[in-house]
Amino acid sequence: MTTVPTFSRGRAPGEPPPQAAVGPPEPRRNRRSPLAKREGRVAYLFLAPWFIGMVVITIGPILGSLYLSFTEYSLLQPPEWLGLENYRRMLDDERLHTALRVTFTYVFVSVPLQLALALALAFFLDRGVRGLALYRSIYYLPSLLGGSVAIAILWRQIFGTEGLINQLLGMVGIEGEGWVSHPDHALSTLIVLNVWTFGAPMVIFLAGLRQIPTMYYEAAEVDGAGGFTRFWRITIPLLTPIIFFNLVLQIIGSFQTFTQAFIVSGGTGGPADSTLFYTLYTYQRGFGSFEMGYASALAWVLLVIIAGFTAINFLAAKRWVHYGD
Amino acid sequence: MRTLRALAAAIPVAVLLAACGGDDTTGGGEGEVVELRYAFWGSDDRAQMTQDMIDKFEADNPDIRVEIDYADFGAYFDKLATSVAAGDAPDIMTMGGAYHSEYAGRGALLDLGEVDDVLRTDDIAEDILAHGTIDGSLYAIPTGVNGYAMVANPAVFAAAGLELPDDTSWTWDDFAQLCTQIGAALGDTGYGSQDLTNHNTLALWARQHGEQLYTEDGELGVSADTLTEWWDFSLQLRDSGCTPPATRTEELASQSAPEQTLIGTNTGGMALVWSNVLEALSTASGEQLQLLIPPGVDGGEPGSWLGPSMYYTISARTEHPEEAARLVDYMLNEPAAAESFLTDRGLPVNSEVREAIVPQLSPVQQAEAEYLDRLQEVVGEPVPPAPVGSTETAGIVTRLNSEVLFDRMTPQDAAEQAVAEIGTALDR
Repeated sequence: MTTVPTFSRGRAPGEPPPQAAVGPPEPRRNRRSPLAKREGRVAYLFLAPWFIGMVVITIGPILGSLYLSFTEYSLLQPPEWLGLENYRRMLDDERLHTALRVTFTYVFVSVPLQLALALALAFFLDRGVRGLALYRSIYYLPSLLGGSVAIAILWRQIFGTEGLINQLLGMVGIEGEGWVSHPDHALSTLIVLNVWTFGAPMVIFLAGLRQIPTMYYEAAEVDGAGGFTRFWRITIPLLTPIIFFNLVLQIIGSFQTFTQAFIVSGGTGGPADSTLFYTLYTYQRGFGSFEMGYASALAWVLLVIIAGFTAINFLAAKRWVHYGD
Repeated sequence: MRTLRALAAAIPVAVLLAACGGDDTTGGGEGEVVELRYAFWGSDDRAQMTQDMIDKFEADNPDIRVEIDYADFGAYFDKLATSVAAGDAPDIMTMGGAYHSEYAGRGALLDLGEVDDVLRTDDIAEDILAHGTIDGSLYAIPTGVNGYAMVANPAVFAAAGLELPDDTSWTWDDFAQLCTQIGAALGDTGYGSQDLTNHNTLALWARQHGEQLYTEDGELGVSADTLTEWWDFSLQLRDSGCTPPATRTEELASQSAPEQTLIGTNTGGMALVWSNVLEALSTASGEQLQLLIPPGVDGGEPGSWLGPSMYYTISARTEHPEEAARLVDYMLNEPAAAESFLTDRGLPVNSEVREAIVPQLSPVQQAEAEYLDRLQEVVGEPVPPAPVGSTETAGIVTRLNSEVLFDRMTPQDAAEQAVAEIGTALDR
């Protein structure tokens, strides 16, 4: 979004600047000059491809699915109006309740773990490790790969009966079972997979840490504050906007987890529905059972759940997020 | 949201592709050339065989051009559902399991009675055609015949110091005993059998107990007691070392490639399979695998049946029903077409075509054909076609089987839940 103000402040070559050329920009005037109007129109022209794409490919189908969520739609026949039946059905749908339980467990366990790990590593990398750029890239790599099919397949192998983990355990004399194929452990392996993709929030934390002026630490040191106090009283409060940003993004992302569960369980959500993520269940209903109306209703409920959590996050943020200004 | 986005992306793309495809008919120098799209699932090998067949067909029918459209099994039905929903259904579609009932029940398939002047079915047995007949109309024609079989690995039997059983008279008790002996003899290196539970096995078990998985009216025909009995038996097999522990079974269930099965890796003595996978399993294991008639209940019916492997169907919205019917007729009734496929789509249903290709079969394919001949002798009543909603049964059974094998549910509870869930899916 930062490109938009830059653009509107730009000028055509050879034209005199519309505002005072020296000093900070003046407060924006209410009446816009003809030039600004023309530039505004040009801006919309450049935005148009994105905007058309947004309406046709994203907003249109989303609204379409809102309509479908009130219908029975088998994909093969025209939708039939059902009213609220799809939403009522959710109350008795035991597999949906399982899916909710699985998804909430995943979000509430993996997001805090992932953010804590990201913050810890960012903190240590920030203390002037030699070869920082290299470490940063290496730790960032899993974030790029984590959602891929290849990694999910690799994960299934690593945590299989004869996988890497059990071979390592075997060396110390422990005989492990197949981790992804046991209903008590399968979800944990996916949580580990999500935690492993800590690189993206870590890079953002690193950037945040760089923004904290060293003078605060120097002043605290002069006052005799120890390492922990400096971390707790200076680093964390000044980093809260970044923590908040990461928290919101990771919660939204984790609720939408699909690929990993789909590949690791072969699309079933098994063993015994222990990795039946909400999105996976939605997919099964829509494409597996031709219940696209019900699947649309499920998708809308997920949207409401995610919106709800994001709203709670923003409300709670007023209490714990400190902005510098 | 991702699902939404995937949908949002898929539908316009499908429409776009349809638009780019141009008209189905293009004006040719001498009359019109009709273009058909033929969809199927399978490997590149199957695509190669199909293209080979298409080339012959096009040489005989210069007024028709056929474009093949294939995907692997996992993606095929998702892709098909989306393209049918987008009004861009392929003219000829391969179906499997109960999918032809789902599509026919929702009006997406052409009643083949409308093209019976082109599409000949005289040389195909009535009970085979019955599988593709829904509410009295023929919507789907089986591509070939398959039989459910207990595949046995003689090398594993030999390693355990055991002989192959006499499959004309053996019972489930005989099976359990043999299987446990193999498991005990192999110790850590293998198992007597891969876990047997799936919807096909339950269909067999039900028939052996005087019931059936689905009735003629498309209702669930198996009782909770019969299912409880199966799952009790299945737990007994697990505990005696015949079948692997639950985690291993779970792993095997999610990896269906022949190279990953116990039979394919020579670490299991037996498994229940469809006869047309014999070749793939034999290639994977490198052994001379045998197909045995599945065990029965003491004094009960053998319960076996000859089932269709896949089906040919034609879209209800095709612009060229007659030309599409000509292609299906060619695939079913022309020996030249069968020479391209051999037994890849099951043993051909047309008896004349079958005889024409037998000399060309490999030894493994001949063993498969011989098994089907033997099975033919003991089959009971034909199985009624799978009803609408029954595509869900496979998933329900797999899930509840996990619950039972991990001791999270008793056989009784799982059986009752299966009856309830399958019943709901059939009623919906």
